[in-house]
Amino acid sequence: MTDGTATRSAAAASAERRRRRVPYLLLLPGGLWLAFFYILPMLQLAGTSLKSGSFAGGYRFSWEFSNYGAGFSDFSAQFLRSIAYAGLATLITFVIAYPLAYFIAFRGGRYKNLLLVLVIMPFLFPFLLRTLAWKIILADDGFVVDTLKAIGLVSHNGRLLATGTAVVAGIAYNFLPFMTLPLYVSLEKIEPAMVEAAHDLYANPRTAFRKVTFPLSMPGVVAGTLLTLIPAAGDYVNAQLLGTPQQSMIGNVIQSRFLLVLDYPVAAALSFTLMLAILAMIIPYIRFTGTEDLVA
Amino acid sequence: MTTPEKGKGLAGVAGEPFAVELRGVTKRFGDVVAVDSLDLTVDENRFFALLGPSGCGKTTTLRMIGGFDEPTEGTIRLHGEDVTGRKPYARPVNTVFQSYALFPHLSIFENVAFGLRRQKVGDADVKRRVGETLELVQLTGMERRRPGQLSGGQQQRIALARALINHPKVLLLDEPLGALDLKLRKEMQIELKRIQNEVGITFIHVTHDQEEAMTMADSIAVMNAGHIERLGTPHEIYEDPQSSFVASFLGSSNLVEAAVVDLARGELAIGTRRVHVIPERVPAGAAQVKIGVRPEKLGVHSPGETTAVNTLMGTIADVSFIGVSTQYLVDTELGTSMAAVQQNTGGRRFSPGEQITLAWAPEHTFVVR
Repeated sequence: MTDGTATRSAAAASAERRRRRVPYLLLLPGGLWLAFFYILPMLQLAGTSLKSGSFAGGYRFSWEFSNYGAGFSDFSAQFLRSIAYAGLATLITFVIAYPLAYFIAFRGGRYKNLLLVLVIMPFLFPFLLRTLAWKIILADDGFVVDTLKAIGLVSHNGRLLATGTAVVAGIAYNFLPFMTLPLYVSLEKIEPAMVEAAHDLYANPRTAFRKVTFPLSMPGVVAGTLLTLIPAAGDYVNAQLLGTPQQSMIGNVIQSRFLLVLDYPVAAALSFTLMLAILAMIIPYIRFTGTEDLVA
Repeated sequence: MTTPEKGKGLAGVAGEPFAVELRGVTKRFGDVVAVDSLDLTVDENRFFALLGPSGCGKTTTLRMIGGFDEPTEGTIRLHGEDVTGRKPYARPVNTVFQSYALFPHLSIFENVAFGLRRQKVGDADVKRRVGETLELVQLTGMERRRPGQLSGGQQQRIALARALINHPKVLLLDEPLGALDLKLRKEMQIELKRIQNEVGITFIHVTHDQEEAMTMADSIAVMNAGHIERLGTPHEIYEDPQSSFVASFLGSSNLVEAAVVDLARGELAIGTRRVHVIPERVPAGAAQVKIGVRPEKLGVHSPGETTAVNTLMGTIADVSFIGVSTQYLVDTELGTSMAAVQQNTGGRRFSPGEQITLAWAPEHTFVVR
């Protein structure tokens, strides 16, 4: 009897230990993935950014912090342009995506899923092809330029392709789904009774939106803007295909440093500088918007 | 509560306008008629319950008073003022939502203050009134919490406070206690009644829980299939439900087919037996009706030991002892079963197979068509 109880409790204890291991086992694949494909390359990149030497003579690790200063001072124009283009494109995307997501979430009815598929549809075509298509759409003899010229929005000998406008428009277009989907998710989650409660408490539709709907959609606003802003700041495809070297962004510089000039240390230093710049922008943004309250 | 004839005046007691007045209100959703040509008036300072099964139109009625749904036909008046077609934010009513719908991104203080802020009430007044209202619902000190940090019962009280702080002319409550557990629900029933007494605002309470409606309401409208089946005080509609729907929806009852023998004397025949009811309860012109008796109104006696006006012979089929009372299932001489409930106050207990007499008084008998 006593032995039986002891065996049973020992079995229970080992079952308990196994149960406690389960969460870690579940974490393992993701953890390994991050370790091998994220942390290791990052460390390697960090190491590269502190090397000195030349491609021909080989690069040696030498705590070469000057790579950072040199990279930033040589390419500050591209840095600023990247942030300006990405910021502008994020703003445009937001202005287009919010009403779109709002409409799908609150007025989509039985067409909700169809409308969402339409939003995601461009993803079925490769990024590069989509951007090349824009190159054709914005071409000097294309109908867009002709139309804009006809209504006087583009001057007689003006053009769209190879301008900053084209690059910003391309980025905004390419990242629209990244903005729309998180916005849709957070808007769709809002109980209709929340808005009714606001109306019930004397808020007209405009005030109800300002005081209830919009604040409740903040997690989507933050997620959408970050998902757009971060990749947009490092993007080089739009600037390369829709712009000229006058519109080149920091992504173009990093790409050419890595692949053409083969100046790995400066390319790596630029990558880190970009990452830190983005972090410096988004941490206060997340703090300010206070989304942690809504997630809780 | 009064039930004026259609088209009759717009005034309730003492010439005051009704707190709520619905005239010929119909709501159709496509082909579905949710509310069918409803007439309803509610006096000032009442606790009024709209009671009915799901889909009976009670919530739609409430939503039309609140302005969330517009009636397809008919008019809605609040204190004599026609508010049909007015948006919810332009109506002097406030609602306690079934899901509470507290704003998760605002503190309890700002939740409660929401209506006052929209009406541009000054900061000092807002602070004072939020304090008073939180005191009324006994949640002083919760101002800085978020709704997510409160229990279900506390959230319910905040939802109530957020509506009441605006001193609405009518407070609408949409199944407000539905999400609470039984014990809390009982507490809140008493609490809601106390608060209604204290603030003196007309409460219109939608519920499918007959016990809840009876506990709290001064008047109850029992709704079924888009119209009102019965309207009256809890006592009136329980004792004289007037329809088999109301009789079975409120508590349980024994219903038996009966033929009208003498309308003026309230004499009816069930099988070969003659029974008596209050004559006014027999609908005029009906030859065949049903009579009903509540189980607790049926006395169980040894044969020949009762002098009651109405009796039926029967055999005990089943006995269940449930502490405060004993429930009998009786096979009657009519060939039907009847349920009888006896208080356990020292009377004789019967066993299955025993011959007994069921006895009841005329005033405990109701008649339905």
